[in-house]
Amino acid sequence: MYAATIRRQARRHAHHTPSAPPGVPLIAVRGLTKTYGQKVAVDGVTFTVEPGRVTGFLGPNGAGKSTTMRMILGLDRPTAGSVTVNGHRYTDAPAPLREVGALLEARALHPGRTARNHLRWLAVSNRIPERRVDEVLDLVGLTEVADQRVGKFSLGMGQRLGIAVALLGEPPVVVLDEPVNGLDPEGIRWVRTLARQLAEQGRTVLVSSHLMSEMALTADHLVVIGRGRVLADCSMPEFIAEHAASHVRVRTPRAAEGETLLRGHGLDVARTGDELRVQGLDAAGVGELLGGQGLLLHELTLVRSSLEDAFMTLTADSVEYSAAMPQEAGATR
Amino acid sequence: MIDTVSLDPNRHVPGVRRPGFGDTVHAEWVKFWSVRSTFWSIAMLFVLGAGLTVLVCATSAEWLASSDADESPAAFVTWGMMFAQITAVALGTLIVTTEYGTGMIRATLAASPRRGSVLAAKAVVLTGTLLVAGTVTAFAGYLGGNWFLDREGIGIALSEDGVLRAMVGSGLYLAGLGLFAMAVGLLIRHTAAALSIVLALVFVVGNMAFLLPGSWGEYIAKLLPGNAGGGIATPVSFNPQLLGPWTGFAVFAAETAALLIAAYVVFRRRDA
Repeated sequence: MYAATIRRQARRHAHHTPSAPPGVPLIAVRGLTKTYGQKVAVDGVTFTVEPGRVTGFLGPNGAGKSTTMRMILGLDRPTAGSVTVNGHRYTDAPAPLREVGALLEARALHPGRTARNHLRWLAVSNRIPERRVDEVLDLVGLTEVADQRVGKFSLGMGQRLGIAVALLGEPPVVVLDEPVNGLDPEGIRWVRTLARQLAEQGRTVLVSSHLMSEMALTADHLVVIGRGRVLADCSMPEFIAEHAASHVRVRTPRAAEGETLLRGHGLDVARTGDELRVQGLDAAGVGELLGGQGLLLHELTLVRSSLEDAFMTLTADSVEYSAAMPQEAGATR
Repeated sequence: MIDTVSLDPNRHVPGVRRPGFGDTVHAEWVKFWSVRSTFWSIAMLFVLGAGLTVLVCATSAEWLASSDADESPAAFVTWGMMFAQITAVALGTLIVTTEYGTGMIRATLAASPRRGSVLAAKAVVLTGTLLVAGTVTAFAGYLGGNWFLDREGIGIALSEDGVLRAMVGSGLYLAGLGLFAMAVGLLIRHTAAALSIVLALVFVVGNMAFLLPGSWGEYIAKLLPGNAGGGIATPVSFNPQLLGPWTGFAVFAAETAALLIAAYVVFRRRDA
């Protein structure tokens, strides 16, 4: 009878959504707030990290990403609000490393301890079989240096060890804070693939980054944060549609005429010389309107501003320290 | 290579034991013995505690046996333990401050979120080690040092008053001192600062306090942690003004307990 129960559970695990019933979110952040004296680091943040997809946690440095992640792991005490993982507080988990694997800072290591010993004490603390230590060392490609002191490790090797720690307990929830920091291009690709595969296995994956380009390649869902507040919480395609503004660029010798015509159809048009910048209609529509009046077109292009630009625009007000753009600096001189 | 990441089939299987306090202690034990500073500190503890005792007994035996001697030979058989204290303070401080210095405290608390258990596990590992190392070292120093005293006919038998108590007392005192330093380390979270404070309190302030005038000054001096607790670690003290060995140790234990409680309260509330 026992065996049947185990088999049934194994089947459920193999399927999807490791511990919670389908549809139940695995990380739930509700009205989370953290203040340090007068400074509000995290300000009423609410979002949900669901299983089976990579959720990107995106924001400029100092936006409150790491503070939020530390609160998820019960390391920092929220000033207000709550976080639950798999339906309970992280600190109530009997064996937390088997429920949530986290990469916090790459250097949360004693430089004098070997990589293997670092993983060993973690495994022991949560009754994770010690053979798992060798497995994760192999998985992150550190087997050969497992018995070296981690003080000698490069930033990238330290980061790989941090990821080994996160995967040690085969957790259904994986939280990675800036995992590609310090990695070489091959390592970056490896982390991307890993995050994607973890999500495909049905795990809940939260990956933070301050780089939009990184998220664009990894995340299915985005939570954008700036100055401690959630600025966007949507799928990647939604984010692109909503925030990556697009316009149609038209070049025609009869630009002034075209401008009047398009304005007449209620479109937003800006003209510089023989070039028109049209917002509010796609390229085909603009082409049909102009072509219908016999205007000769030299160019008709849909221009989409990059995700990086969209992210910059969205978080422009929430960047703590911003440098003047080079040309602006030149102009003031 | 990714397929080694599969969901742990044991996760919800009934009958798999949940990790408990024993596992937290085991993890702290692995941590403690997997850095070189532990081996160095224990080695120094032995070299200073036993080595200096033997050395001072060898060089002073003749004088102690002469009529010029104004000290009891019994005060010399644990002489080196005064210096071995430094290593106990270092071990006690480092067991917490290295975690704060490296940021590893976050890994520790992510693995074992019950902070009281983490603190207790560290205390068990530290006191267990120091109790054994302190007692063994004191015995080694006594055996070696007493050999020289015996040659001059002033040897002290283990059965004599206070000798056995001083051997075990050395272990107890070093364990207590380690805990005291650990509590300070947890409050200060900075290796150099915590080390300086405890060493200054035990060695400098402890000795200077006897210069304080009046009977209240004498009481303050007697109650300072190093002065109160140190008496248990020697059969006969060089300092006649100290409290009795067990009374003094009780005072020292109470001070250490109070500091540990303060450290625990702060540790429980503080962001990691």
